[in-house]
Amino acid sequence: MTPSLDAYVMLSSALFAIGFLGVLVRRNTLVIFMCLELMLVAATLALVAFSRFNGTEDGDVFVFFILTVAAAEVAVGLAIIVALFRLRQTIQVDRLNSMRH
Amino acid sequence: MTPTHIALSVLLAPLASAALITLLLGRRGGLASAVSVVAALFIACGALWLAFGGDRFTASWEWLRFGSFAVALGIKLDDLAALMLSIVGVVGLCVHVFSLGYMRDDAARARYFGGLSVFMFSMIGIVLADNLFMMFIFWELVGFSSYFLINHWRELASASDAAKKAFIVNRVGDFGFLLGIILCYWANGTVSLSELGAGHVVYSRLIPLLLFCGAIGKSAQLPLQVWLPDAMEGPTPVSALIHAATMVAAGIYMLCRIDVLMVPQARTVIAWVGTLTALYAAMCAITQRDIKKVLAYSTISQLGYMVAAFGLGSVGAAMFHLTTHAFFKALLFLGSGSVILGCHHEQDIFRMGGLRSRMPVTFWTFTIAVAAIIGMPGLAGFFSKDAILVLAFENNRAVFSVLAFTAILTAFYMIRLWKIVFLGEPAGEPARHAHEGGISLTAPLVLLAALSAVGGYWRAYPRAFDGVFSQIPEAGGATHAIVLATSLVVLVAGAGTALAYYATDGGDTLERRSPGAFRFLGALRSSFDTGYDFYVAEVQQRAALVLNFIDVVGLSGIVVRGLAGATEMFGFGIRALHTGRLSTYVYWFLGGVVVLWAFAAGVL
Repeated sequence: MTPSLDAYVMLSSALFAIGFLGVLVRRNTLVIFMCLELMLVAATLALVAFSRFNGTEDGDVFVFFILTVAAAEVAVGLAIIVALFRLRQTIQVDRLNSMRH
Repeated sequence: MTPTHIALSVLLAPLASAALITLLLGRRGGLASAVSVVAALFIACGALWLAFGGDRFTASWEWLRFGSFAVALGIKLDDLAALMLSIVGVVGLCVHVFSLGYMRDDAARARYFGGLSVFMFSMIGIVLADNLFMMFIFWELVGFSSYFLINHWRELASASDAAKKAFIVNRVGDFGFLLGIILCYWANGTVSLSELGAGHVVYSRLIPLLLFCGAIGKSAQLPLQVWLPDAMEGPTPVSALIHAATMVAAGIYMLCRIDVLMVPQARTVIAWVGTLTALYAAMCAITQRDIKKVLAYSTISQLGYMVAAFGLGSVGAAMFHLTTHAFFKALLFLGSGSVILGCHHEQDIFRMGGLRSRMPVTFWTFTIAVAAIIGMPGLAGFFSKDAILVLAFENNRAVFSVLAFTAILTAFYMIRLWKIVFLGEPAGEPARHAHEGGISLTAPLVLLAALSAVGGYWRAYPRAFDGVFSQIPEAGGATHAIVLATSLVVLVAGAGTALAYYATDGGDTLERRSPGAFRFLGALRSSFDTGYDFYVAEVQQRAALVLNFIDVVGLSGIVVRGLAGATEMFGFGIRALHTGRLSTYVYWFLGGVVVLWAFAAGVL
């Protein structure tokens, strides 16, 4: 039996929530990044599901854009993290608080 | 050259002279004095040309404008202004020439002559002013010039103190003056003298009395007369020009200018202030040792006469006495300057004596001046004082009796001065070796003596000053005889008593023979100063401390630093938001998203 639209959307929301929670709570910067990716993927999943169930290809096309943007963002983000690690010797977010007053 | 141009150049020449001296000739005393004397000569010639040329005009230029309120600068040359301008010009020239000789050995000569030029500019500004605002501007400038010149020998603490005192006391009077000007503008819509003279004026008792406050300060009337005796700290030519003939007369001139605003009640107050001042100052003059202080009190007394004459209703009598007084008082001061210089800067009259034979020109000119001031028939002072006494006799017998008594005192202290300084034997070494000064000292004395002698025959003045002199009261029959008799009795009584009573040696005869009376007069003289001292030290100082407390604690503390502190607290609060932790910022994100969703869902 094929899953209904609701199932896909619920899965997408669950993944998004997990990703968001991860960004809130985790201390490792790389893990936060992974959670960001998770949020992106969740949104992509929802888009694809809708396009499948509406019979159009609009959502499918979106996938390319989203994944391209995600890749570029990850590249930049990891570069920043590497630079930050070189400077501060840590990637624990609770130690990276030099912007505190 | 139109008369307007001539008037403008008379006004601006001394300013140019002062500017030149200040900017270029600060060290060149000789050249500075020459520039200043040339300017004074130009002013004198210009003034006499304008006066006797007969042109009378007003000219006005708008200077500042705030909506419907405009301040104009202008020239009003009528008979009154022409007369005053001539006096300022002639006496100014005499004083400038005298200063050439008197200040020859002074190191700061250039600064002195610069100050004299600034004074001439300010004084001519007052004379020519056609509205009260402009007059006030130059009034303050004259006050500044007086401060500057009294303070000429600035290394002396007494001179600095005297200059400050003069300026501050004048300021007190000027406060009233300014209030009067503002009130006049508010009531009448204008402060232009021409417009006030022509149009309908709102009469009030307050406006003329407030304006009179300015004259009280500037012309050293009770209770603001305390600055003038101290102002004798300045060089003697300064005393002659500023504190005898011209600046202090500016108060009288201003009163004559605002004659149109007067009401009877104000006139009565003015008359009595003048009369009491005349009496008080005459009493103070009797016990003075310093030759210049005697003349200072004499000036205050004579100014009281002029103020009383104005208060009794006659601009003519006041201006006539102002004219004759300018001549003989300037002569008295310049003569005393000659005496002081001859005795090598000795000012105590009890160390002089016997100068009659040693300084003949000074002696004879001084004698003419003394005769003029005490009212010797035929000389200038006789006619002008007579006019005032006639006026008083016809209008206010009480004032008449006080003024007549004051005339006795005037004769008394002037003859005392004359006798002790010139007759008898020299009381000290400097007096023994006294000698006449050069031509620059004696020529002005002779000129002023001539004017003191003939200046009283006002009908002989060319038609130029008719507007003023036609108002001099003429006495008929019985009044004339009574007043004439009074004048002669007063003259003989005062002069005769002084001549007989005072011995020319052994110090002050009054002090020796009636120490009680001497002490009483001395206390009278210092009573005002003591009173003001007490007021400033006790009352004013306490008020100042209270205000200081309010300023430091209230304004600086609570308002300024308090506001700063409150802002700082607010800043602390905002700063607490910057935790530096990423998770905090993400929570804020979440919050923002929730709010947006709420808006979108219609909940908010």
